[in-house]
Amino acid sequence: MNEELKGHLDSLILAVLASEPAHGYAIMQELKARSGGAFDLPEGTIYPALHRLERSGLLASGWSSASGRRRRVYRLTRRGRTGLESRKREWRAFSGAVDAVLA
Amino acid sequence: MSYIEELSRELSRRGIGGTTRRRILDEVDDHLRSEPDAQERFGAPAAIANEFAAELGSHASRRAAFVAFAALGVAGAVYAAAFVSQAFANPPSETLAPALGAVALASLVVAPQVAFVAGALALVRALRRRGRAIPTAELTVLRRRTLVALAAGVATMVALALYAYEFAPSLAGWWTTATYASATAAGLLLVTASVPAARAARFRPELAGSAGDVFDDLGVTSGDPWRLACAVALAVGAAVWLTGIVQGDALDGLVRGILEAAACLAGFGALGRYLGLRR
Repeated sequence: MNEELKGHLDSLILAVLASEPAHGYAIMQELKARSGGAFDLPEGTIYPALHRLERSGLLASGWSSASGRRRRVYRLTRRGRTGLESRKREWRAFSGAVDAVLA
Repeated sequence: MSYIEELSRELSRRGIGGTTRRRILDEVDDHLRSEPDAQERFGAPAAIANEFAAELGSHASRRAAFVAFAALGVAGAVYAAAFVSQAFANPPSETLAPALGAVALASLVVAPQVAFVAGALALVRALRRRGRAIPTAELTVLRRRTLVALAAGVATMVALALYAYEFAPSLAGWWTTATYASATAAGLLLVTASVPAARAARFRPELAGSAGDVFDDLGVTSGDPWRLACAVALAVGAAVWLTGIVQGDALDGLVRGILEAAACLAGFGALGRYLGLRR
């Protein structure tokens, strides 16, 4: 499950950030919540993915201070939003085809 | 040793330093403070550091290949301009080449071809592996291709300047001056383009996977690299021969074609394994 999840981690992160900007910990919690606890990767693996998405221009980030703590908050860029829509379309086409075969 | 200290040490071990390491540590520190048992679910510091190194090393190596190819493009334009414009600057007879002039001439034939082939191979592999972490063995091949391309590019520019110097008495002054200036500028550009490659080499990830061969570059199923090299050498030799026929000297074209094909195979034999063209 975890290995399969790694292949889709970028899309899942983009989907979580589509609703609102968040820091790494909050993204991980949201992933677990939305998947009903099924997505349970080592939490540290999210950070290389966040940095990769930022380098690709799909995310932007900045430090923010809350309750005396510095947190790196990530948000979707315009390119990230477009990328997410395209990934959603690809996934639906793929999963639809798999469903059709398995049915 | 705390988790953050251990992660810091692992990041250093993988070649991640400076502001990047600081940022990673700050983010992880904030994450671990969010919950008392967050550390247990975070993953081993060595694995996290390795994942960062794989991502950063892959990105930096791909970027270095793109930068190198762009710089080689400029050097290629300088090389082409020098030889096209030489026709208007009293070109010397190659048979009267002084010793160093002969070395320069030989280098001007071999080095640009090595630079182009290695640079193009680096570019192709960088494009094929875009957007994902590259296995360590393949990363080594990508870096070698980039460095060989840049080194051969610099050798070409040095040979061009040496050629201008050796044949200065018979060549027009404007051509030698322009060639010194453009070859120096392009040479410096190539040296500058090696900085991203040197930076990329600092990252030391460990990611399993093979380096692949020329068929991974071409995106086709595997085959015999030597057979492909022979076919390419034959095609290149035939093209040179045809050029000779078009220029009105079929025999000279044939000799040059045979030499070119032999050089092609020699290059494949000497550098093929090093540049990841064969296993």
